[in-house]
Amino acid sequence: MIEVKNLVKSYGGRTVVDIQSLNIRAGETIGLVGNNGAGKTTFFRMLLDLIRPDSGEILSKDINVAKSSQWKDYTASYLDEGFLIDYLTPEEYFTFIGSLHGLSIAHVADYLKQYEEFFNGEILNRGKYIRDFSKGNQNKVGIAAALMQKPELLILDEPFANLDPTTQIRLKTLIKNLSTTQRLTTFISSHDLNHVTDVCNRIILLEKGQIIKDFHTDENSLKELEAYFGE
Amino acid sequence: MISIFLSHQWKSFWRSRNKAGSIAAQIVLGFFMLYFLAVAVGIGFWMTAIIEKVMPNVNPVIVFNGLILYYFLLDLAIRIQMQELPTLSVVPYLHLNISRQTIVNFLNLKSLVSFFNILPLFIFLPFIFININAASGATGVVAYLASILGLILFNNFLVLYIKRKAINNVAIFAVGIVVILGLAASDYYGFISIRNFSNLVFQTVAKYPFLALIFPIMAFTVFYINSKFLKANLYTEELSSKNEKKVSTDYPFLNQFGRVGELAALELKLILRHKRSRSSVIMGFMFLCYGFFFYRMPLIDGDEFGKMLFAAVFMTGINISVYGQFMFAWQSAHFDGLLTNKINHRDFIKAKFLLFTMSSTIITLLSSFYGFMSYKLLLLHLAAYLYNIGVGTIVVLYAANFNYKRLDITRSASFNWQGVGATQWLLGLPLLLLPIIIYLPFGIFNLPYWGLATLAFLGLLGLLMRNFWVGVIVRKFEEQRYKIAEGFRE
Repeated sequence: MIEVKNLVKSYGGRTVVDIQSLNIRAGETIGLVGNNGAGKTTFFRMLLDLIRPDSGEILSKDINVAKSSQWKDYTASYLDEGFLIDYLTPEEYFTFIGSLHGLSIAHVADYLKQYEEFFNGEILNRGKYIRDFSKGNQNKVGIAAALMQKPELLILDEPFANLDPTTQIRLKTLIKNLSTTQRLTTFISSHDLNHVTDVCNRIILLEKGQIIKDFHTDENSLKELEAYFGE
Repeated sequence: MISIFLSHQWKSFWRSRNKAGSIAAQIVLGFFMLYFLAVAVGIGFWMTAIIEKVMPNVNPVIVFNGLILYYFLLDLAIRIQMQELPTLSVVPYLHLNISRQTIVNFLNLKSLVSFFNILPLFIFLPFIFININAASGATGVVAYLASILGLILFNNFLVLYIKRKAINNVAIFAVGIVVILGLAASDYYGFISIRNFSNLVFQTVAKYPFLALIFPIMAFTVFYINSKFLKANLYTEELSSKNEKKVSTDYPFLNQFGRVGELAALELKLILRHKRSRSSVIMGFMFLCYGFFFYRMPLIDGDEFGKMLFAAVFMTGINISVYGQFMFAWQSAHFDGLLTNKINHRDFIKAKFLLFTMSSTIITLLSSFYGFMSYKLLLLHLAAYLYNIGVGTIVVLYAANFNYKRLDITRSASFNWQGVGATQWLLGLPLLLLPIIIYLPFGIFNLPYWGLATLAFLGLLGLLMRNFWVGVIVRKFEEQRYKIAEGFRE
């Protein structure tokens, strides 16, 4: 699904991302962990063609993401509030995103029904613009809009941050279900080791832009990660 | 504390993404200022000689007295358009142990360092020291100095106050302009004479010097009101509109344009839902009266379109130059989202063309009331309109690819004045001057209608080749998008 080759990005002489090679198969749920400055977000931005790599390339379904925008047909993402159009109401935003993927207003409304639980009655029909919502609720809008696109590849940066505990648990169930039922490939970055080991079946540990660990999760994964970060 | 603020501002200027652009703007502005300063120094030193030459049989002091209020009225009119508001992104300082008063003091103090405050000193002081000294002695000089300084400060803070208010409420701006225009008009048509009034005021001041205190008192009052307003607004961030219920809207007339229409609707919402962009659009309608300054019967009868072209291009293309020069940056807050979503870059650019074309068309239709003055003005507007939508839009959108500076339109409306002063007009200048340069040779060889036809033809050509130009802009956009996105993320 995703193939990374000799990817390097540096700022002011400091290497932020340096990934020699990485292969992701369809259906994997990948947890990206690492301390601040490990290069998680920069990697995501390059994956989404928002930053130009210094060298190397990222192939999505064998096509370089920087050369063609075909990946946009099956990729959905939410990194931060910069992805939201904050002067729209959530309904308008969902309609707009839906229309980009050929969904009618009725389709979108229908689709949002299944997220009623996830929204916990705080998002729809509140008569507010997205910018007037709290950060946690903005996150919910962004994540729901990403999922609504029925992606094959989903990229979420710190999705659990700012969410209340109930929603965190609901989000985990949601992602797990999607990966089994729709063979969704997911990238998640998080500082919460519990969540990551719980949701993901493969963990990639970044340090100063390099992959230093890459393993499939089992019952010892959490201990292993805690040992690394506890040093 | 003030020096720390200054050093922070200094750093923010030199470390900003658009450094090259802002330095260039400052240099050009600097040249303009030097020129006007030189003129002011000249006027100041040769004031007596000039007055004696223009009005040989009148006492120079009387003419000088008549000029003072006249000057400051004009000064007020120019300041409203040109004077920059002192800015400081206050948010990072508000929660610190810095009193609000200090922040307000800084903003007030900084506003004093303005070109408009220095200019009158050069113009008026030499005459005061030489002639007034001779006529009414040292007390007279002190009284005149107090008056002039008072008037300078009064104008300075009055304009700041009006502009600050106007950002939240455009009506105030309109009232300000109408009052000034009304005074100027009634002077022009002889209902009242500002010169006689000014002369009366200053003759009284010369007779009773203590009356000069009125001006400093006026200045202090405005200063006080201004500071109070600032202090009260240090934390209200568009609070007034928070409580009303927001509804989703739809613009059916845009739907016929498909995907492009959807994107245009999105941007239309952006414009209408932010005070900042909304007032710049409303301002565009107000500038429809610009024609009254420029269009004169003798010019129209003599077919001297060159002298009126500026106003025509300015009015019909106001939204293109004012809204367009911050292009893409209006969307800086969600630019990443636009890039990652399934939005065709061609559609993205075309939506902007659509919006520009529509707004320009509406404004041009409204401006057709000038047709009552002469049908020639309609031709002039048509040529300017075609030029604007054909050529102007292309220039603006191509230039937008080089703007990496984030524009925060949501945050704190009362402290966000990027581009509400002279720099704003400066950036629009090339766009407005180009058609005049094109027209110039036709004007010289006395072929006015051919000049208009050429402008209209260039505009039509641009319109017909729009698809080609969209392609050019999109290619540049795709090349620049990483840089733009990075700048907007700051």
